Amino acid sequence: MIELKLNGLNVKAEEGWTLLETARFYGLEIPTLCYNEGLSVFGGCRLCLVEIGEGPKARLVSSCTYPAEEGLVVRTDTKRVIEARRMMIELMVSIAPNSKKIQDLASKFNVTQVRFKVRNEECVLCGLCVRMCAEQMDGRAIGFQNRGYKKKISTPFDLRSEECRLCGGCIYICPVCQLRCQGPEADTTLCNACLTMDPTCLDHYDELQCWMYDAGRCGTCVREK
Amino acid sequence: MSATGKITSIQQLKNVIREQTALRKAEKRPVLTVSAGTCGLARGSQKVIDSLKRLIKKEKLEKRVKVKVTGCHGFCEAEPNIIIQPGDIFYQKVGPEKAGDILHKTILKKKVLDELLYLDPNTGEKARGELDIPFYKKQKRIVLGDNALIDPTDINDYFSIGGYGALLKTLSGLTPEAVIDTVKRSGLRGRGGAGFLTGMKWELARKAKGDLKFIICNADEGDPGAYMDRSLLEGNPHLVLEGMMIGAFAIGAQKGFMYVRDEYPLAVKHVTQAIEQARHLGLLGENILGTGFNFDIQIAKGAGAFVCGEETALIASIEGRVGEPRQRPPFPVQKGLWAKPTNINNVETWGNVPLIIKKSGDWFAKIGTENSKGTKIFSLVGKINNTGLVEVPMGMTLREIIFDIGGGIPGGKEFKAVQTGGPSGGCLPKQRLDLPIDYQSLSQAGAIMGSGGMIIMDENTCMVDIAKYFLNFLRNESCGKCLSCREGTQRMWEIVKNISDGKGREEDLKILEELALAVKDASMCGLGQTAANPVLSTLRYFRKEYEDHIKRKKCPAMVCKELVSSPCQYACPIGQEASTYIAYIAQGKHKEAFDVIMKDNPLPSVCSRVCNHPCEKVCRAGESGLPISIRALKRFVMDWAEKNGIQYVPPRVSQNREKIAIIGAGPAGLTAAYYLALKGFRPTIFEALPVAGGMLAMGIPNHRLPKEVLAREIEVIKQAGVEIRTGLTLGKDILIEGLFKSDYKAVFCASGAGKSLKMDIPGEDAEGVLHSLEYLRDVNLSRPTKIGKRVVVVGGGNAAIDAARAALRDKACEKVTIFYRRTKAEMPALAEEVDASIDEGIDIQFLMAPVKVITKKGKAAAIECVRMKLGEKDASGRRRPVPIKGSNFIHKLDTLILAISERPDTSYIGEGDEIKRHGENIIIDDETGSTTRLGVFAGGDAVTGPNSVVDAIAAGKIAAETIEKYVSGQIVTRDYRLVRPLIYVKPAELSEEEAAKAKRPVIPALAMARRHKNFEEVEGTLSEIAAYREARRCLRCDLETEDGKSAIGAKK
Repeated sequence: MIELKLNGLNVKAEEGWTLLETARFYGLEIPTLCYNEGLSVFGGCRLCLVEIGEGPKARLVSSCTYPAEEGLVVRTDTKRVIEARRMMIELMVSIAPNSKKIQDLASKFNVTQVRFKVRNEECVLCGLCVRMCAEQMDGRAIGFQNRGYKKKISTPFDLRSEECRLCGGCIYICPVCQLRCQGPEADTTLCNACLTMDPTCLDHYDELQCWMYDAGRCGTCVREK
Repeated sequence: MSATGKITSIQQLKNVIREQTALRKAEKRPVLTVSAGTCGLARGSQKVIDSLKRLIKKEKLEKRVKVKVTGCHGFCEAEPNIIIQPGDIFYQKVGPEKAGDILHKTILKKKVLDELLYLDPNTGEKARGELDIPFYKKQKRIVLGDNALIDPTDINDYFSIGGYGALLKTLSGLTPEAVIDTVKRSGLRGRGGAGFLTGMKWELARKAKGDLKFIICNADEGDPGAYMDRSLLEGNPHLVLEGMMIGAFAIGAQKGFMYVRDEYPLAVKHVTQAIEQARHLGLLGENILGTGFNFDIQIAKGAGAFVCGEETALIASIEGRVGEPRQRPPFPVQKGLWAKPTNINNVETWGNVPLIIKKSGDWFAKIGTENSKGTKIFSLVGKINNTGLVEVPMGMTLREIIFDIGGGIPGGKEFKAVQTGGPSGGCLPKQRLDLPIDYQSLSQAGAIMGSGGMIIMDENTCMVDIAKYFLNFLRNESCGKCLSCREGTQRMWEIVKNISDGKGREEDLKILEELALAVKDASMCGLGQTAANPVLSTLRYFRKEYEDHIKRKKCPAMVCKELVSSPCQYACPIGQEASTYIAYIAQGKHKEAFDVIMKDNPLPSVCSRVCNHPCEKVCRAGESGLPISIRALKRFVMDWAEKNGIQYVPPRVSQNREKIAIIGAGPAGLTAAYYLALKGFRPTIFEALPVAGGMLAMGIPNHRLPKEVLAREIEVIKQAGVEIRTGLTLGKDILIEGLFKSDYKAVFCASGAGKSLKMDIPGEDAEGVLHSLEYLRDVNLSRPTKIGKRVVVVGGGNAAIDAARAALRDKACEKVTIFYRRTKAEMPALAEEVDASIDEGIDIQFLMAPVKVITKKGKAAAIECVRMKLGEKDASGRRRPVPIKGSNFIHKLDTLILAISERPDTSYIGEGDEIKRHGENIIIDDETGSTTRLGVFAGGDAVTGPNSVVDAIAAGKIAAETIEKYVSGQIVTRDYRLVRPLIYVKPAELSEEEAAKAKRPVIPALAMARRHKNFEEVEGTLSEIAAYREARRCLRCDLETEDGKSAIGAKK
């Protein structure tokens, strides 16, 4: 067992656990995008950042890749973490505003402005599709190409793939492949329809509890355009 | 005898080293060492080598001289260079044609060729040998120095300077722990950038569990402008190999990799050769020197990715995977190459190891500072006189490196910033020049040592452009995994590019800083973590430059193309669209040209005669030839208009707005009044003298600016609705308080600088001593003046030249001499005026200053002067003249005119007026032109002291803008607009022949005989054909912006 400090609590982790696994075991919420329990870790979306260490040497690391260490001091919601997280979400919204998953993250973590020019690219290079195809579906039909701002995901040499079995695993796992509530032609960059909704029924019925208070289940709670 | 077969024992190696060293000593022939690193080869070393070898063979001089081809000697500016021993002669910038002279004269006749010696531009002295050259004097070349001694392709040459002696010592009985201890004691820190203690790293690697261990030499050197490692690998590869062997022994590794970037073919070639030679002699491989130590090195080549300089990405690359960094821990020293313990060090770090083993850790620790031991090699590049590789002890200041070793900035330009540490580093400004170079001080100042790149920047470098350059580099080189780095560098680049293109917004700097901090915090590897440094360091020290780009739409260094557009229009204080009216002249459309000029300038005929043309100074045609004769072209248009009766009719606006009072009818006052009238105000100018025009009427004599020309333009100004009342002096006839009481809603003080400065020398009040402005006023008002036969004028500005040329025209005068205390290069007067006065026979003597006026019967009869020499630079940036003791002499004269400078006379401002001044100069807010009293504005020479006409006109335009805002109750701010022409005129198309022949015309001038004793205008106008040709020579820089390109593209 590895003993470490998590948000001030003394916790124990098994050999080989990451900080993310440790935190989730103890019920702490850390947002992720490129992480999936069934696939290898990637550490690219930078949402799962936590602050380790104390004092001037404290730094942010992706909890999904950082192994639990004896005596480590971990904090999941410091000012640095929250500000970095919000900037990551802001950047993601500016790339793919039509992703429900990303819009929900924006609503949840109070991202109120998108100050970068929106690109509408529909891919945030989280690599889930690549790992899904390689690890779960044994296809290895797609991968990363180039580096830097030119990085993209495609088949080798952009040619039609003979390895692809059209299983749809990549579409299934993609966090961007879910339309937001307002649809693809939304007026505003930030959606805020689902997570910060206002149940309309409660105005009519005083003594009622809304059992459908769950992201988008009821449908009447979509904000008026 | 060279070593040829395997060296199988310690003793055998000892013998080989001894033999080779002796052979070297026994060399009787003089040796010509030619530098042929990549830099030398690029400059033509191969031709020099071939030429020498050919001649030696032809003349059978093999027994008389030896040619040795080495790697880089470090002084890249002087390449190709040849060092000749014995005699310690350093020849620089040698061409192949000099081979004959070098062999015949220097080698055979022992005669030094002066023309090939290094000439110090700062002292003018020639240096004979390396150590006489300032570049080398302060260096401590313990690592790079051997480059000049050995042929890198011959292992025996390395033996001959004691090479592999450290390996010998190591394998002769030192334990690995002892080796590590020595390295620890030396305090050596990683030279790749991070500066981690090397000894500690080796210890961790040694202690790591596992039998299979690796060492790696990181020779990826991706920082733009850094090439220290290249030079070491090309010039002394065995030094690095020896270091690796010792390291492998200490750590317990059997295999080493040298990861060299693909862009270094010569380094790869020499290292490959060196490894093969070492292996052949048994210094690499199994059972080295019979000690049971097994070690071999393999070369791995990079493929063009900067990120592969990061250790985990480098390891991935060697493993055949994509070069992407991974999270640490685990660190490579625990789990590195193929998950085995791996020690990675930079080339320069390995290069220091043999020296430390040979001489001891304590010896090494004596060099450098408390926390940074040893020397560091820097590549000194950019705007620097002595470009090259510099090796200095840690702790030397930036100032010493840049100015003493680097020789300062070329062209006499001002130092602006030094960029250290490559794209991950920061820019340090002038204030930080005395920073000692060591890891701690640099990081405290917001920069990093990095691998040693040092890029020098001068006043013509734009820091926003620099940030944009590095961000562009980083967004291309980021591996792209982390969202923060990939997106962050892209977005930062977008924002900085917008700022550079004139599209910056107020909030951009805040967004930039927030994003920069997020990128720094959230990224996984060193590239991302330091990607924000170019932005953060330039914002820290040069924030005002960013603000100028965003708010004022100006690039002070005139680099950002989209902001500058036409440099002539950009640099003109009143924004005259020179490239547009010149384009019209090139089409023969003179009326259109006239309209373009008139829209921005109420006094163009004046300007076309007397302006100091800042436009011509920045004209791009002047970069590779002579600038376009813009002032003469403007004069052509104005004279054409006058000749053809074209008059400018200012648009009449009903003047029903407030009354504005303007003090002074000089260019500032006239302009302010003109534009206020065009806005519908009722301006009244109060002028103390009987004539309007200020310095234009009173200071500049007729031979430069005829009275009628000025009067004509003032008339047009009056027609716009301006009232001028002469003979009224502020402070006497009118008071500021009184103006407000008389219903004037604002006051603009443009009273100029019309009072000559006194020199405060004895005898200044004697008869026959005049002050320039008062003398010129008398000349211009046709009042009697007392000029004698021999006139001496003291001063170097335009007032001095004007007074001199005016005095020359006086009937009584026979000779005029000007004394100036500095040299011609520092004279502030217009160059064409200085030349004209010399043409007219005026004698200008430099480096003299008057000390005393000698009088006879109360009248000036002579002047005692002292000779001066130039000393250190003063506040104005010019070198301060210092009197040479005992050099006094007497110069006889009849009239002395003192023209050292002028100052404003603002004695009309009283205590109660609440208008703050600095001496006699009125203080204003730089943006709005308002004084410390509400409603009172000021501008022109009354604020700045003596300045140019066009700057005064600009002050008048600004006053009109801000006074309007003030009077209408708006917030008084300036509206800044992007410099653009109102219209894009189709460019002229020149044939190759015409373009080749095109030359700046000579402006016609009155024949010398016709200038005798009269004030006829000297300068003439260009002919129509000359103007047409010159106008076609214009490069049309206004068409270089995106707007310009699309305007002309659309027209096509």
